[in-house]
Amino acid sequence: MPAPLNIQPGATVPVFRREGTLQHWNRYAGVNYEFADHHMDDAVGRHEGFEAAFGMGPLMHAYMHTMLRDWIDPDVGRVAAVVMQLRKPFIRGTSFIASGTVKAVIDEGGERHVDLDIWADNDKGERLATGTAKVVLPV
Amino acid sequence: MSEPKISMESLISPEMRAAVGREYQWATSYPIDASDIRRWAIAVYYPEKPPPLYWDEDYAKKTRWGGIVAPEEFNPFAWMRADPHGDMGQEAKRPWPELYLGITPPETRANILATLDVECTGVRMRVGDVIRSVTSLGGYEERPGRMGMMLFSTRLERWTNQRGELVRTYRQVLIRYK
Repeated sequence: MPAPLNIQPGATVPVFRREGTLQHWNRYAGVNYEFADHHMDDAVGRHEGFEAAFGMGPLMHAYMHTMLRDWIDPDVGRVAAVVMQLRKPFIRGTSFIASGTVKAVIDEGGERHVDLDIWADNDKGERLATGTAKVVLPV
Repeated sequence: MSEPKISMESLISPEMRAAVGREYQWATSYPIDASDIRRWAIAVYYPEKPPPLYWDEDYAKKTRWGGIVAPEEFNPFAWMRADPHGDMGQEAKRPWPELYLGITPPETRANILATLDVECTGVRMRVGDVIRSVTSLGGYEERPGRMGMMLFSTRLERWTNQRGELVRTYRQVLIRYK
């Protein structure tokens, strides 16, 4: 559901969920030319100290954008910034579950700037990523 | 594969420290094609169908953008660059700056992304646009972690289009360890 134009601090972004499968990751590998073995081979993921293969950081970053666009409607608004710190790898076979909260709404230069805190957890409740974002809407 | 040893030795050499601030990579994309945008959108929206803004020109013309635009995080440099001619870009297995700066990288067994920070100016990437990027070395830090000494390398990028308009800035922090 698109964000209402009268959005206020404290509003939440609808939960966004994607599964950690090679069906998802290989599509992204294909468009981003990103074929590191640790995204495809569990043995390489384990050698690097993790439970299995893990998803691409830029894909998690892209998912944050997709989550925000699902909320604001990309025909109308745009994502101006996504700052994301990765806390844990997105392990194959787990889920990426993200959301956000509006911190501030500022009208400036004929546009509405919405600042958010964003985060993503896996399906065990472990935090995968935290960060901030800005979306811009017409007033 | 054998169990790796944990090391707390410093991974930053004097020549690495001396390189901080240097520009080390310049690239120009091929003109962005509608299929590049459509495929990107399919990948980042999968398993959902992407919005028509990214694949239906007739629909996109009626939006505020006046035509198809790329999703903000779109990468026009994947699958070869126009300049340097034939350059396939950074190899995902070894994306570190020392290889481009002509200095010896530290021996590490793994690299993972720690931070991605992208700011988009509102100048959209559109079909036919040619994007130019300039990459510099933002800095190095290191601190001990459960994998041993962790090396944090910061990479900075600025993207402009064929009119010289700033499209986006990009800051990436990569962690490496032995």
